[in-house]
Amino acid sequence: MNTVLIIDDSDINLTLIKALVLKLGECSPVLFDNPLEALDWCRENVPDLVIVDYMMPDMDGLKFISAFRALHGRNEIPVLMVTANDQKDVRYDALLGGANDFLTKPIDRVEFSARARNMLSLRQGQKFLADRADHLAEMVEIRTQEIRDRERELIFRISRAAEFRDPETGAHIQRMAHYSQVIAAGYGLDAQAQKLILEAAPMHDVGKIGIPDYILLKPGKLTPEEFEVMKGHARLGYELLKDSASEIIQAGAQVAISHHEKYDGTGYPHGLKGHQIPAFGRIVAVADVFDALTSERPYKKAWPLDEACKFLEDGRGKHFDPLCVEAFLAGWEEILDIRQRFRDEDVPMI
Amino acid sequence: MNLPAFTLDRAAILERVGDDEEIFAMMVDMYLQDVDSNCALLTDALAANNMSALQREAHTVKGLLATFSDEAGTAAAFALEQALRAGQAVDAATAVAGLVARLREVAVVLKQA
Repeated sequence: MNTVLIIDDSDINLTLIKALVLKLGECSPVLFDNPLEALDWCRENVPDLVIVDYMMPDMDGLKFISAFRALHGRNEIPVLMVTANDQKDVRYDALLGGANDFLTKPIDRVEFSARARNMLSLRQGQKFLADRADHLAEMVEIRTQEIRDRERELIFRISRAAEFRDPETGAHIQRMAHYSQVIAAGYGLDAQAQKLILEAAPMHDVGKIGIPDYILLKPGKLTPEEFEVMKGHARLGYELLKDSASEIIQAGAQVAISHHEKYDGTGYPHGLKGHQIPAFGRIVAVADVFDALTSERPYKKAWPLDEACKFLEDGRGKHFDPLCVEAFLAGWEEILDIRQRFRDEDVPMI
Repeated sequence: MNLPAFTLDRAAILERVGDDEEIFAMMVDMYLQDVDSNCALLTDALAANNMSALQREAHTVKGLLATFSDEAGTAAAFALEQALRAGQAVDAATAVAGLVARLREVAVVLKQA
């Protein structure tokens, strides 16, 4: 049903136009003999077609069109202006002012029907395009979300591929990623950064994929030379991830290269100090070490939680950013909950 | 203002409204209901010497008479409207009297239609 707004100070014209509008079919006329009242109505309602007389007291048709067009979302709605044949100057002004077409007085049904139908067709086309644009935007949003989900899944699986080659488990990735998120929140990073670190942290050890098995899987202590090779996983991970267009993978590159830096400058690969180390690296360092200490491995028992916490506290200002340790301990209840949710025996997706 | 007598061209009017007798009857009824008011608005504007109001009423009467295919009446109303718009000297009293008479003449004819 099309809503047709008719504005004319002459009752006889209002009645005539209304009758002709009803004959178009599928139309619901709304009548006003006062343009100011019509304009008020337009603030709350959106007509499909406006038919407005030119000469009216208080506000003429040109001023009405101008005010109507200034309302939000009313710029494209078709407007027919009713004028006398002799008012050529008015017609020019109306065209420049936003009228789409004219009706000549006295109104003729054939002319009226043709012009009104044209305008309503135009409106239907506008509505169709608007609906289609909305639909397309919705589809793009759905597809984009699907791509993001796939990106996260791929990151998780790549991270797991690296971990498969050493004794770490998929649950370790999940726990340290969620711990990182808790620390990021306590540290004061915004929600977007918290989400980003959750998604990027799993890539911290992806460079291990390039470490030879005889070093990565060596049961005993590494020689100094072997440890030097092992340390290369930070740089390898960075090289693997750094050129991605993905914000998550770029963050993963930063985490990979900086999560073994230490707050006092004794870490690797660059020996960065304090806030020279990216925030994500300082956060992931706490999360990764805590989970490594509190997890059982073939070569070691899990540390008790209080001892692991003491290790973190003792490492404040040396290994760890004190604020990150503080944020970790402040989120202790959440940390315990994450330990419960992600156990080594079952590995849910992020 | 001597205008030729108004004759109702019912066929022409009906053709314009799509041969719809109902719309035609409705227009006649409305004209007859409003004619006193239209005449009063013309004479009031003249009495108040309000030329912009008189110009607007002449425009309204022009449209009204055109609706009933009164070419001579329409032309008279148009002449007054144009003269007032152009700020020309015009015998407004004679013009208004002529238009009022024309509106009433058309009303009489429409009553018999």
